[in-house]
Amino acid sequence: MGDAARKRAFLVDRDVTSNDDRMSWDFATSEEDYRKLIHYLPVALWQVDTQGASAVFDRLKAEGVTDIAAYLDEHPELVELAKDVVRVTAVNREAMLLFRGRSAADLIAPVRYVFAATPDLAKRVMVAHFEGRRNHIEETKVAALDGTLIDVHFTVTYPERQEQCSLLTMLDIGERLRTEGQLRQLQADFTHAARISTLGELATSIAHEVKQPLAAIVTNAETSLRWLKRDDVSISKLETLTSRVISNARRASDIVQRIRGMAVKHEPVRASLDLNEVVEEALLVVRHDIELRPITLTVRYGDPLPRVIGDRIQLQQVIVNLLVNSVQAIAQGGGPARRIDLRTSTDGDNAVTFTIRDTGPGIARENLDRVFESFFTTKDTGMGMGLAICQSIIVGHGGGIVAANRPDGGAQFQFSLPGEVQPSPRT
Amino acid sequence: MVKVPLLAIVDDDDDVREALSDLLLVVDLPCRTFDRAEALLAEYEPGLFDCIITDMRMPGMGGLGLLRRLSRFDAAVPVIVVTSDAGPQTRLQALDCGAHAYLIKPIEDHVLIGHIKSALARDDNGQKRGPNG
Repeated sequence: MGDAARKRAFLVDRDVTSNDDRMSWDFATSEEDYRKLIHYLPVALWQVDTQGASAVFDRLKAEGVTDIAAYLDEHPELVELAKDVVRVTAVNREAMLLFRGRSAADLIAPVRYVFAATPDLAKRVMVAHFEGRRNHIEETKVAALDGTLIDVHFTVTYPERQEQCSLLTMLDIGERLRTEGQLRQLQADFTHAARISTLGELATSIAHEVKQPLAAIVTNAETSLRWLKRDDVSISKLETLTSRVISNARRASDIVQRIRGMAVKHEPVRASLDLNEVVEEALLVVRHDIELRPITLTVRYGDPLPRVIGDRIQLQQVIVNLLVNSVQAIAQGGGPARRIDLRTSTDGDNAVTFTIRDTGPGIARENLDRVFESFFTTKDTGMGMGLAICQSIIVGHGGGIVAANRPDGGAQFQFSLPGEVQPSPRT
Repeated sequence: MVKVPLLAIVDDDDDVREALSDLLLVVDLPCRTFDRAEALLAEYEPGLFDCIITDMRMPGMGGLGLLRRLSRFDAAVPVIVVTSDAGPQTRLQALDCGAHAYLIKPIEDHVLIGHIKSALARDDNGQKRGPNG
């Protein structure tokens, strides 16, 4: 009988009740098959004898221990003991390869070596076992016998009542994590590129913001020099002029710092933020562009707002993108009223919402579901990445963004972010 | 007799407005300040101001709107534009609308004062408005 035929026999006979003589013979071969299957399974497998742990657990339960996590925190020596009395009794080929063992014997030992890289993992595995769960699953790091750290998807399946064997599996996820890391990097690069491109479009507005305080500085200083040449020079006037030079220099420096903050590439930072401040900062780069056009901009700040955890620059970017979008929409047409209304608010659920409404032509019904897709655009210029980036940033912050048409014309975009969870005061 | 000239400064930026008005003060040129074109026009009477200094980018009608209005009902008043907008197109538009000078921020004090003097001189010399000017 060929291999394939044997496997078929194995699969069939297991589920058929029959007194056929063939059955015992097939069982014998299928057990061999089974062993091979386990041995060559492309998942690293450990069989672990947990009798030692079970005995301890029974004793603790008899003593009335219920909060095992707290108990183990107080008695770390129990975790250490378990690492020695719980033993690996069998491993497959993949486990050997994963742990860089030369033979299975290298891995048949107390389980201590499994937890070498992440000592807390042992505790979590024990807690889940004690609490009677069927499985414990997490992504973690393990150390191979040669010390190499490996990222793994780690599972434990605990024994049913009579059995005393836990089954442990590990899957090397290093490649996946690296790919995810590269993807995140690409996303960050792209978000940054989009930000630079937006700043480029707003260059005139930004230059204006910086030149105003510089103009004030130059004129105040020149005025001071003129006073110094006069016979009736007034010290208090000079004081006023000089302090104006200082405050305007600070103002210019702040603006440059903020623009630089938006321009430089940075790793996203999570900080506690006031969304109202983020809106104000975003307006800094767009305000003049809006004021130059026949557009009325109103801003209503919700007060007080719960703080949100997020990246200041990325959230500014979202708001700038939405504003630029609205300005362009109004330029495309729409009602006679040319308005952009911004609002920040909070609901009872501790979420913070930003709403922008414009009086542009709105979004064609068939496009409503597509506006957040990459490369979707209705404009002649532009790549159609603005809203896609907005969405990826907001989703990355645990929030959501929606587009809608207003009943009285124009579009509305709204994003919500979860408010920062305040530690509840202990009573 | 010498009439003391009165100037108007129109700029939406508080700091710039203060700086310009103090510069005029030190050269003994009294002035009044406005934070936008509409504010000046609300109080405007032909002949009240001898020279107007205005920004371009401002909320509302802006500097260009102001130039257009003035060219219609007080074409004689000289307007000096002081702006951060260095674009050739805006400059052409402003000069087209009759701007006396177009200066880019940050300005040099003697350049601005030179233009003010030439504007006031033009005012004194010819295109009179009012019998005692």
